[in-house]
Amino acid sequence: MAKAKGKTEPVRILGSLDKGKDDVDRLVAASESDIILDFSACTFISVDGIEWLEELAIRAESKGMKVRFENIPPAIYKVFKISHIDCILKACGAPSTAIGPVC
Amino acid sequence: MVVSVKSNDSAVDERANNLVRQARLAAAVFTQYSQEEVDKIVKAMTVAAIENAAMLALLAHEETRMGVTEDKILKNYVASEFFYNQIKHKKTVGIINEIPEANMVEISEPMGVILALAPVTNPTSTVIFKSIACAKTRNSVIFSPHLMAANSSNMAAKIVYEAALSAGAPKGFISWVEKSPRLRKETERMMVHPEVDLIFATGGTQMVKAAYSSGKPALGVGSGNTPVYVHKSAKVSSTAMDIIISKTFDNGTECPSEQSLVIDREIAEPLLSEFKRLGCYICSDEEVEKVTAVVIDPRTGGMNYRLVGQSANKVAEEAGLDVPEKTKIILCPMKGDIRHHKLAVEKLMPVLGYVIVDSVNEGINRALDINYAGGTGHTAGVFSEDDDVAERFAEAINAGRILVNSPTSIGGLGGVYNNLNTTLSFGCGTGGGNITSDNVGIKNLMNYKRVPRRKNFTYSFQTTKNIYVNPGSLDHLKGIEMKSAFVLTTTSAEKRGHLEMVLDRIPSDCRVSIYSGIGAEPDFEAIEKAVAAINAKGADTIIALGGGSVLDAAKIIRLLYDYPDADLKELSLNFFDFQDRMIEFPKHMKTKLVAIPTTSGTGSEVTPFAVVKDSKRHRKLSLVDESMLPEVAIIDANLTKTLPVEITRDTAFDALTHAIESLVSTFANDYTDGLALESMRLIFEALPEVLKDPENVVWRHKLHNAACLAGMAIGNASVGVNHALAHALGARFNIPHGRANSVFLLSTIAYNARIPSKFVAVSNYPVWIADKKYARAARFLGLIDSVDSKKDDPEAVKAAVDALLKAIADLARSTGQPMSVSELGVDLEEYKRAVPMMVAGTVEDMSIKTNPRYAMMDEFTQLFIESYPPREI
Repeated sequence: MAKAKGKTEPVRILGSLDKGKDDVDRLVAASESDIILDFSACTFISVDGIEWLEELAIRAESKGMKVRFENIPPAIYKVFKISHIDCILKACGAPSTAIGPVC
Repeated sequence: MVVSVKSNDSAVDERANNLVRQARLAAAVFTQYSQEEVDKIVKAMTVAAIENAAMLALLAHEETRMGVTEDKILKNYVASEFFYNQIKHKKTVGIINEIPEANMVEISEPMGVILALAPVTNPTSTVIFKSIACAKTRNSVIFSPHLMAANSSNMAAKIVYEAALSAGAPKGFISWVEKSPRLRKETERMMVHPEVDLIFATGGTQMVKAAYSSGKPALGVGSGNTPVYVHKSAKVSSTAMDIIISKTFDNGTECPSEQSLVIDREIAEPLLSEFKRLGCYICSDEEVEKVTAVVIDPRTGGMNYRLVGQSANKVAEEAGLDVPEKTKIILCPMKGDIRHHKLAVEKLMPVLGYVIVDSVNEGINRALDINYAGGTGHTAGVFSEDDDVAERFAEAINAGRILVNSPTSIGGLGGVYNNLNTTLSFGCGTGGGNITSDNVGIKNLMNYKRVPRRKNFTYSFQTTKNIYVNPGSLDHLKGIEMKSAFVLTTTSAEKRGHLEMVLDRIPSDCRVSIYSGIGAEPDFEAIEKAVAAINAKGADTIIALGGGSVLDAAKIIRLLYDYPDADLKELSLNFFDFQDRMIEFPKHMKTKLVAIPTTSGTGSEVTPFAVVKDSKRHRKLSLVDESMLPEVAIIDANLTKTLPVEITRDTAFDALTHAIESLVSTFANDYTDGLALESMRLIFEALPEVLKDPENVVWRHKLHNAACLAGMAIGNASVGVNHALAHALGARFNIPHGRANSVFLLSTIAYNARIPSKFVAVSNYPVWIADKKYARAARFLGLIDSVDSKKDDPEAVKAAVDALLKAIADLARSTGQPMSVSELGVDLEEYKRAVPMMVAGTVEDMSIKTNPRYAMMDEFTQLFIESYPPREI
């Protein structure tokens, strides 16, 4: 869990991310430091899960915080890549693909 | 319709963006689904479609006022049940195809977001079909329905989507454009939306064209104009019934349905009578005019869209015809040149043109007239009990599906009458402006990731079957079964007494003819003369007695004797892939070839190579094939005792070059390595001794063996760049082959031992190891201490290569063999002028194909230049 201030601890996403995580939402609301999500134990992500991550990143940004995703398994990273959602790709540290797929 | 990207309608943009975003996320999520999860979803969708097949058909008919409700029910079943049965066991996730013989697998990758158009003629079945196909292939699909059928299309989409969601499908993977006046604009917007990956366009010509003009990948359909040829061998009753079933199916809205019949005269009367008996109406010429007037739109020359899917009675009523109630089809004889007949076009209603013909040729030609009047690539049909006629028809007609003895409309859908892929989307190939002529289905909705593993190379080792070795082995000639022998030799062999030695050992009951007209490096003309001689005499065995030229010539003479039509120029075509040659040699030779070498150099007695000079074109042609191998080789050193010292040395260096080049060849293997190494050892040991005591048969024997072993090595691993250089030099300055080889040897070893500027692209040569192979030779020859623990150390390898170079230079020096071009008496200026031409020759030389270093033209030039001055090693 992330602390309200000081050093940031990663939050682990366990199993299927098929809906929003209330505790993470609360964390964003309470925290002033950057949020790190650890996806190493994430096995599936749904459309709702993607949308929640997007919203999370937008909310964090509005508070001047950053969201960072770590240890993303390839299958989940591929979902992010295909989704073409800019703030999610930024959280992955990948270049933005806002202009859509290009050769 | 042309796709516009300039719409300023923000509401349209917003709706399009929302639909596409939803589909994009669903497509992303779908990539995580397993085959089992996908199949569960597909099954649930199919069940839902079947449960609602009748309701959706009714809705579609009510909304469009086209077709026949009962037939639309069948279409919905085709799109669900039939389709499901075809695809339920198909793999669409992960590895979908394993091709062990090609060492390759295919893995599926979804297309992504698909924009699918649904036509007014099949508004629900198309949606069911495309939804299931997209689910099976893990794609998202956004439906753009026809405005006149939007309610029924969208209802179908909603039903299968909800079933899919219940089975675990990603949210939003099916969506649809709601019915509104802006439906078309929204569709246009999505056609060019960057997040749409593919347009799956089934519909009218304009919509398909719009899809293609969007710049997106598109699966479209072409327009149809199905010709059906009824051959005189056809069964009248079933033909008539099949055509009626097909043309009345959904009142003719199916685009593969019959449009014009081409009927053999012999069967016309009974067939038309049968049509009439079964409830069709056959028009008079005057009535055809009336029908044409309402069926064809005079402005476009195409069908009147107002009558699409209407009943025959409705069309008759519009045309002012008095036809019986429940008439099934209105049949219109098309008189005159049908290429100009107004009715010879697509008519998606129960109106059928027909023409009578007098032969198969005329029948196929008239069918082609229909086919090429707006229906290329789509569908055709033939009724014939004569398979040959059906095949001739199919060969001539340009259509993606050519139905034999069955209805073209329901037949074209696939699954009901045949094993065609079930579809509601008919690819028409380039004839219809499409990328595929398939019955479009799941295989067209996946990207195929081919994963080829590196080719597994299997080596084979080929050499002469019977090799008799040791001084005196010529006696084995006595035991070779032959009735008529053709002895091919040289005048020199005659003078040296070799011919007599051979003749003494040929069985007494064998008829013998002798041809001694083969000189050094024979050309086509010399070969032709020898072939004429053997043809005149006849023979079951050729005995080749002489050096490499005679042995090579014998291989070619046998080829032309056994196969007079063999084209030497074609057979000598260059090649890159040793294992998959373009040119095929005869598999088996009929005449036995006994090779008796009288020099210790080429090893031709055990190689599949033969070289012939093309004097007119100033080049040499190489023939390579295992069929060229002699059946018998006799390695008798008694025949080399009188070989002049100079030739002994030249040929020995030829053999040494063979051993060295085969050792580092990209095709070298454990089998050839052993031969090459032992050959080198024997040459280093025996050559100095032979030159000291030329008539010592023991050392001659060792040298003779060395040449034969090296021959077996090159026969399977080939040679390298040194031979290419030597061929060019030899051809230009008339230098004996062995000597030409020796002058480049030090340069090419040093060249191949350096890290290549470019590596060779050969699957079976994964690691460049030429330097280590030379080092291995140095160790084998005892030139350096063999300390295995350090043998691969770069400095140790270099020292070993240097030792090998020095040993070769010492051997040459001690035996008097030239090691540089200048020692050959070639003028420097003349040599420099010749270099470009010689470089051109080396580039084309087959020898370089197996060199361990990819030889570049500037490197050839450098090798020629540095090989001129005397060696300082």
